[in-house]
Amino acid sequence: MSGATTTPAAEKRTRVTENGPAGEQPEGLRARLAGSPVLRLVGRRLMIVIPLLFVVSALVFLLMEALPGDPAQIRAGMDASEEEVEAVRQQMGLDRPGHERYLSWLGGALTGDLGSSVVSGRAVTTLLGERLPVTLQMAGMAFVLSIVISLPLALAAARRPGGLVDRFVMVCSMTLLAVPNFVMALLLVLVFAVGLGMLPAIGFVPLAEGVWPNMRSMILPVLSLAVPMACFYARFLRGDLVEQLNAAAYIDTARSKGTGPWRILWLHAFRNSSFGLLTLVGLNIGALVGGTVIIERIFAMPGMGTLMLEGVMSSDVAVVQTCVFIFAAAAVFANLLVDVMYAVLDPRVRYGSH
Amino acid sequence: MRRRDVPRATRRRLRAVALVSAVALAAAACSGGGGGTGTGDDGNPADPGEPQSGGEITTILDSGFAGDWSTGLDPATSNSTGANLPQNSAIFGGLFTLEPDESGEGAELVPNQAESYEWSDDGLTLTVTLREGIEFSDGTPLNAEAVVWNWIREFSSGSTGAPTVQLDLEREPPDLDQAFLDSLFAALPDDVDRDLIMARLGAIRAVDDLTVEMHLAVPNGSLVNGFPSANINLIGSPTAYAEMGAEAFSTAPVGAGPFVVTENTQNQRLELERNENYFKDGLPYLDRLTFQSVAGDQIAYQTLQSGQGDVIEGISDVALIEQADNNPDVEMHLGTPTSPYVIQLNTRTAPFDEKRAREAIYYATDFEQINQGLFNGQGEMSQSFTASGGLFHHPEVPGYREYDPEQAAEIVDEIGGLKVDLMTTDLSTARRVMTALQTQWQEAGIDVEIDSKPLGDIITEFQGGQWQAILQTAGAWDPSVGIGVAVRFGSTSPFSGTPLPDGAESAQQAIDEGLQTELDELLQAAVLTVDEAEREEHYKAISQYISDEAYGPFGIAFSPAQVMRNGVHGPGLDQPIAALAVNQGVLYDRVWVEQP
Amino acid sequence: MAVTSPPGSATLSPAPLAGSATRWSSFRRRLTIWISGSVVALLVITCYLGPFVLPIPSPVGGNVLDSGLSPGSPGHPLGTDVNGNDVLSRLIHGGRSSLTVGVVVNIIGLAIGGTVGAISAYLGGRADSIIMRALDVLIAFPSLVLVIVLAQILGPSLPNTILALSAFSIPAVARISRAATLKVMSMPYLQAAELSGSPWWRILSRHVVPNIVPQLTTFAMLGMAIVVVTEGALSFLGLGIPPPRPSWGNMIFEAQQSMSATPLLVLWPSIALLVTVLSFNLLGESIRDEVTGR
Repeated sequence: MSGATTTPAAEKRTRVTENGPAGEQPEGLRARLAGSPVLRLVGRRLMIVIPLLFVVSALVFLLMEALPGDPAQIRAGMDASEEEVEAVRQQMGLDRPGHERYLSWLGGALTGDLGSSVVSGRAVTTLLGERLPVTLQMAGMAFVLSIVISLPLALAAARRPGGLVDRFVMVCSMTLLAVPNFVMALLLVLVFAVGLGMLPAIGFVPLAEGVWPNMRSMILPVLSLAVPMACFYARFLRGDLVEQLNAAAYIDTARSKGTGPWRILWLHAFRNSSFGLLTLVGLNIGALVGGTVIIERIFAMPGMGTLMLEGVMSSDVAVVQTCVFIFAAAAVFANLLVDVMYAVLDPRVRYGSH
Repeated sequence: MRRRDVPRATRRRLRAVALVSAVALAAAACSGGGGGTGTGDDGNPADPGEPQSGGEITTILDSGFAGDWSTGLDPATSNSTGANLPQNSAIFGGLFTLEPDESGEGAELVPNQAESYEWSDDGLTLTVTLREGIEFSDGTPLNAEAVVWNWIREFSSGSTGAPTVQLDLEREPPDLDQAFLDSLFAALPDDVDRDLIMARLGAIRAVDDLTVEMHLAVPNGSLVNGFPSANINLIGSPTAYAEMGAEAFSTAPVGAGPFVVTENTQNQRLELERNENYFKDGLPYLDRLTFQSVAGDQIAYQTLQSGQGDVIEGISDVALIEQADNNPDVEMHLGTPTSPYVIQLNTRTAPFDEKRAREAIYYATDFEQINQGLFNGQGEMSQSFTASGGLFHHPEVPGYREYDPEQAAEIVDEIGGLKVDLMTTDLSTARRVMTALQTQWQEAGIDVEIDSKPLGDIITEFQGGQWQAILQTAGAWDPSVGIGVAVRFGSTSPFSGTPLPDGAESAQQAIDEGLQTELDELLQAAVLTVDEAEREEHYKAISQYISDEAYGPFGIAFSPAQVMRNGVHGPGLDQPIAALAVNQGVLYDRVWVEQP
Repeated sequence: MAVTSPPGSATLSPAPLAGSATRWSSFRRRLTIWISGSVVALLVITCYLGPFVLPIPSPVGGNVLDSGLSPGSPGHPLGTDVNGNDVLSRLIHGGRSSLTVGVVVNIIGLAIGGTVGAISAYLGGRADSIIMRALDVLIAFPSLVLVIVLAQILGPSLPNTILALSAFSIPAVARISRAATLKVMSMPYLQAAELSGSPWWRILSRHVVPNIVPQLTTFAMLGMAIVVVTEGALSFLGLGIPPPRPSWGNMIFEAQQSMSATPLLVLWPSIALLVTVLSFNLLGESIRDEVTGR
């Protein structure tokens, strides 16, 4: 997921270097990285991110502890005697104090041993190997698609606020936003799979079985995830662009210099609006993850969301912990990327001054 | 001293039973509302003609029940044997199968890989004779030794699929081949009690190459009827297990059923192909069979419509059943129900420790109205714990307190008001029935709070003992198998609200001290004999006792619907078989599709 | 902010008939405000007062014998649901739950999140870092897990639904507010204010807040839709407003479980949701435009 953010980032980065705001010296990307304020920032942020991930993992652990129900009791069976539950508890290592268990989990995790599922007995790493690629592909494609859809729509709408295109885009996006994703998914299936018979209604075809079959199995789930996000982005970006066009003095300057409307939109307004969009995109990683849980269920995709939900339902601590941690790490890194991109886009943030 | 061997599996089984029952509730609850006759599009299905070989089908299973095989497919370690009937029918076939009976409504138990079975006169020894010449799909023989190997594993690996059996552990184990023992112990959990295993090897023994005996400490009248839903019905290849190891065997077990596993994505998709080595000539008809797990009936239905599936096993949403019934492209068949609803009342705590309060609930409850309203009258009414598809069915119990709102209101007045917390499992149709009950009870002046909870929380409620009323399903094809009547009404069952025996403070104490209530004795007597007529009498008495004491009103019974595209046929699909507990058991070796 | 809209629109939209166009667009904006405002008012009045005034049956406790009636049945203009409850009545009562959740969650989000974000951006440096990292933890947590845990510990109810949804809303608004504040702070007038020695609270309330409010409002209006829709998704997980009490979200969720057979039961609450979301947004946007004088 987070990798995908580099696409718009790279675009913007080159734009910035060509047309930096007044006061900024044009410099090559390589030179800038070598000059390294950004690199330093990445370093600084990483220093924060790593402890942050520890905090997150500890919180996950606490949350799982807070869940009602005793995993040992659950594993031993409802009416197991106290001694039996105690035996299972020892076997599962649950008799040790919480911090000790957390540390040993952490130790295992750092050395690549994530434990095994209490339900299936299979190693969590094996499960991840099966499930992670599905979710990564789905979320990644949805992420890219949502931006690819929303950018042109927002730009086209903002070019003439109140115009026909603007109204059309705004009404459509609002309508689609008001449709819950589980209903959207079912509607897409009813139209494209049941009605037109063009695409499969459920199931995942691995990439190994061909690119086209794989893509076919991905289209509907990805659309169900991407469309609401795209609407959200498009509306937000359009609002921000219009704001920029109206409020910012440099736009007037550009206009007076005779710059064309598309150029103004793209080079000036959009670059400023991209801050808000970036923030939103970072925020949405969490929603994207939440979305995969529901969408994977509807399309019978063997992904992480399903794995996590099953884990929660069956108190499978090792599985839930790992899934949550991976999702959290993805969100943290996505937000780190957002911060870095702020810096790339805005020299004031980069130099940590204002 | 005769050691009482109630394996840990018993306890686990109870949990599994609870799981199954909750789903049973959903499934039973939901199904049956279709508008039609439930026997196809026009109630007069065309004769499909002679079965044809070839072709393939995809069967859609609900990810919350049959489509959940997270504990794997090795019968000794799976905890969902009762739910995974479709997969097991395809991979293992089974020693016994439940076949359609002559009436076309109920079911009868028929030896499959077994040739016959026989009880000794004292009802303590079950002798199972195997068919000659059956081989697993890997070519090794399915013989008495393989059955003993499987049964010992299945009783001793902690699976919830093992039946409750009190084996006679006082018998000397026969002389056993060391290679056999090594193979067996290699396939058992590391921490297994070796002495117990040896004692079990005394109780379960191969008499000759095709004959196996099981020696019991007490008679068990429901043991054989319980086979089709228990793991001991499923025999896997010991050789294959030794070669593959535990994990691979659990992913792609090797049995002697009509199909072999080619690919298994846990809880998602299971692909199988024809077993060329199958022991029945000309079977199976299908070349390939795939099970696809999906979340919920709507998705199952639209998957069928999109052509990605051919059969939905156990669709339960009333509205969708009706939709399927009216769709000319698909066929819908309701099964014969076995398990009715029951409102369990907790007699161990207020307000239902008072009999009058329980009576008020009986009088205030109108299941017939719910049947008409929620299920278009397609359900079947019952006043006891089985429905017409099940054994020992008594639809009417003398003196049963039927709907009488005035009397209910009178009692409520008399006892100075009644306040009830009613719960059920968090499944849509169970919720609908509960909501309707709330309305009915409120009309009788009862103050009702309703709450639907996930299954785990319902179990916790049972454990806590403070629950008041829970809507559940009770019964099974044989009332003492699976979610039997004893689970709901036996005083020492963790899922029961009937009074504890005199002098017992807890179920555990009652078990430890061997205390029993009158109802417990009746329940026990019903399985302590293998004589059908005697069992019939006992169950009659049990129905009467529960009704007289007003332990819980029974209601509508349903079986989920099988939905398939036109041209798919087979026993358990368009040919009904009474459900063992929840879904009908489809006999996949005889499922066939019309070829163009 | 300078009122510079005529030249702006002149450059962007070719050949306007200056005077009448401006008057026309200003009239149209007023009209939009009036229409969307009336719809919002109507919705609020119907949902909050309707149950006391309108002759509609109770949304729960219907007779199962009346289940699944089609629209236009006597006494049930929109028909009944599977439990025999009147659909119109459930829409109106459900609207009350949904509107309450949507509005309260957004107010909580704006008040807490908006303030935290603005302060964090304004303070900058270490404080900013700490606040943002703390929010990162909240954001990083898959919301689903938080919801499930809340559901297990608190049990489903209206206040708990609001609590769970606020947990998403606060960090989101905070990040947006921080980004907007950062942008405002780069503006010359703000630096001028700082140089002139205005105290921080005055800068925040005089200069920052008015300038970030439009952006936050846009977000909150979008948030309205998302919150109401997410409330329905919570039903998926057993949190959310517990049935039989209706909300638009749980009505949609219940009905979609058999959508092929009962499409109308999905349609009605979806339309209600759509009308609400559209009118709230139109209202929000046109008020913003009016205020910023566009």
